[in-house]
Amino acid sequence: MFHFLSKVRGRILIFLMVFGPATITAMADNDAAGVATYSLAGAKFGYSILFVLFIVTLLLAITQEMGVRIAMVTGKGLGDLIRERYGIKISILVFAGLLIANMGTVIADFAAIKITSSMFNLPILPFIIFIVFVSFIFIAKGNYKTNQNIFLISGLFYIAYVVSAVKAGPDWGKALTSIVIPADVRLTKEFVFGAIAVLGTTITPWGQFFINSYVIDKKITTDKLKYEQLETFFGAFLTNFFSFFMIVATAATLFTHQIPLVSGEQAALAIKPFAGHLASVLFGLGILNAGFMGIVIVSLSTAYAFAEFFGVEGSLDAPFEKGKLFYGLFLFQLIVAAGVTLIPSVSLFKIVFYTQSLNGILLPAIFFFLLKLTNNKELMGKHINRSWYNYFAVGSSIVIIIAALFTVINSLVSI
Amino acid sequence: MAYCNKRFLVYHKSMLYFSELRAKRVQTEDGIQIGILDDLIFLALETARITKAVIKSKNNSNIIIPADAIKKINGHITIQKNYTGTEVGLNELYVLRNILDKQIIDLKGNKLVRVNDVAIQDKPFLYIAGVDIGLLGILRSLGLESLFHRLSNFWFIKHNTQFLSWADIQPLELAQGKVKLNVTQEKLRGLHPADLADYLETTNIRNISKIIDLLGKEYASEVVSELNPNYQITLLRKLGDEKAVKIISLMDPDEAVDVLLQFSPRRRQLILEKMDETKRREIENLLRFSETSIGPYLNMEFIAVKPENIVRQIIDQIKKETGDIGDLNCIYVTNKNDLLIGVFNLHELLLQSPDTPVYRFMIQNVTVTHLNSPANTVLRTMIKYHLYELPVVDAAKKMIGIVKRDDIGELFLDRI
Repeated sequence: MFHFLSKVRGRILIFLMVFGPATITAMADNDAAGVATYSLAGAKFGYSILFVLFIVTLLLAITQEMGVRIAMVTGKGLGDLIRERYGIKISILVFAGLLIANMGTVIADFAAIKITSSMFNLPILPFIIFIVFVSFIFIAKGNYKTNQNIFLISGLFYIAYVVSAVKAGPDWGKALTSIVIPADVRLTKEFVFGAIAVLGTTITPWGQFFINSYVIDKKITTDKLKYEQLETFFGAFLTNFFSFFMIVATAATLFTHQIPLVSGEQAALAIKPFAGHLASVLFGLGILNAGFMGIVIVSLSTAYAFAEFFGVEGSLDAPFEKGKLFYGLFLFQLIVAAGVTLIPSVSLFKIVFYTQSLNGILLPAIFFFLLKLTNNKELMGKHINRSWYNYFAVGSSIVIIIAALFTVINSLVSI
Repeated sequence: MAYCNKRFLVYHKSMLYFSELRAKRVQTEDGIQIGILDDLIFLALETARITKAVIKSKNNSNIIIPADAIKKINGHITIQKNYTGTEVGLNELYVLRNILDKQIIDLKGNKLVRVNDVAIQDKPFLYIAGVDIGLLGILRSLGLESLFHRLSNFWFIKHNTQFLSWADIQPLELAQGKVKLNVTQEKLRGLHPADLADYLETTNIRNISKIIDLLGKEYASEVVSELNPNYQITLLRKLGDEKAVKIISLMDPDEAVDVLLQFSPRRRQLILEKMDETKRREIENLLRFSETSIGPYLNMEFIAVKPENIVRQIIDQIKKETGDIGDLNCIYVTNKNDLLIGVFNLHELLLQSPDTPVYRFMIQNVTVTHLNSPANTVLRTMIKYHLYELPVVDAAKKMIGIVKRDDIGELFLDRI
């Protein structure tokens, strides 16, 4: 009995040791743009959209797991592998696309911060400069461990949404059953787009790049693969656990009272009359926190990817002198995105729209690479996709690719 | 070209690049189309001789032919009429699969950069000369190199191919999917100034001034001080006063004096006036001694301690004060009036316990020299007593500086 307990304790310790990368990546998928999308979906479709969340959780878990497995078995990032296996020409296309799409995402996060900060009467310009400054100092000066802890603490703040949802007084029974049993789903064109938007904000090209690089940067050995896979599933669950409350918070208030929501960022103010002051403030603080998380993680994923592309040192543990390109690119992205956000004449809505389309174009390519890599015996050895898992992975990828293409085609038509 | 294997690599016309060869049409001498070049196979040894070529034929199958069958490379690749297909052999690797786009790591495992292109020489036979690690390599693969050259000429942008010689790469590691170097990052960055100077002396003065222009000031000054005097003076003239002043200011004072002595007194004065106060006084001091026989070899980089100092204090003082001194052999002991009263070397220092005062172990019977001692006498003394350096004192035994065997030995270098 004692032996059994110590064994369990040992396992838990190992799990805690590897814990971090997958959860952080998954949480960052709920960046400010993500929160906005969930709020909008909840306000528009009520509990019925929760069914999509269930599918998204599965898809996220499977796709992230492939990334983690590739990273831990090969010791290389997605950027490394694309460059090494597909050559410069294809890489340049993928990386240029990633840079632009990530820039758009960071801008969207800054925009959300801008809108929300006015709710708290924070001076916009100094606040945004402050965020850029603080983010850069933490990334450039802090090592992997400090940064991981900051991200995890930031992830903890998502609890704000749980409180907001509780204050909104939802119909919990209906909300919970809607996750597994589709209820009141009306398959309109709008619902399909809503579902795709929820999918698209959770499963992203940068997320796939980031999880690879971030796992490698943690330097976990391959024998801990099982634990890291477990964490991946946990992270996917946790993310959508919080997404559930975001949707519930707006579904119980705005959807129930049929209040239309123009943009997701305004959700914090809009729920105030129904859920009360505290819920509104927490929702707003949640968006600021999510914005911060998105800005740092997405910029970091660009920096990782390009360090891999050029083959230079790209690690949070590297000193500034060695990681000049890595840290420089991180700062560059922050400054440009913050600058664009501050220009009043720029249509942030359009930027977000085009970013989603570009992500939609990139995703199929990235899933092509992921599937190719995880099925490569020479590369993955015994960790190659098992056949049943492969069907599942291919199936998931096809769902994601169809959804992505749907967005692209729709945006082309609407132009 | 062979010498300049580390950092500087000027665009070399006769070099072939893999990116330019790849996807070239392959045909026989009598004009029969075989396919396109897909990959090259080489021996992973110290000389990376290219032994075979992989051709992708029209029906998408791969044909491997011996490199000897290649007759001509221009717009397309011409091969022998009756070539025979072959297989990959032992110790053979592929350019595309094993080198191109791979991560380059140094001896310590630091990630440096990626292989952006592979450079190939065709004389006396096809072999891999090295790898291109610069931006130009990326542009070349994208077919944008000539556009870049045109634009950069238009905007007067300077660009150099960055190149790593095959000699820096460990061929045996390539099979593991890594391009591992046999040097460390630091060493790769710092090509020794003397080596570069030697190389520069083989080219003309215009090239020298061009390359010096590209270097950081500090590194440039080290390189200039290693150049032979004839080059130094021409070069510094060519660089203009402003730059010459900067470079001379960064040199070690005794080397700066050597250089300045070659200018006319009027020009010398002009340059000195533009230098900052402390540096100028130091150099003027040395210049004054330069008319004496020992003066030109005088070195001011020495450390003097007091007899009552204890070993621990001296070690601290050495750490603090001698970080920028080239090499430290002896520690001199002077009294309150700066008169030389003793000496000891580093080994003697280390043998003492931390609390021992200097006067307990210093050698009081110091061999000295004077500014007017003939240089060959001084050298003879040094050789006789196995001394690396001698203190130079004035009539009152006040310490002026030191003279090193290496420096004074140069005087006799021509006679050997």
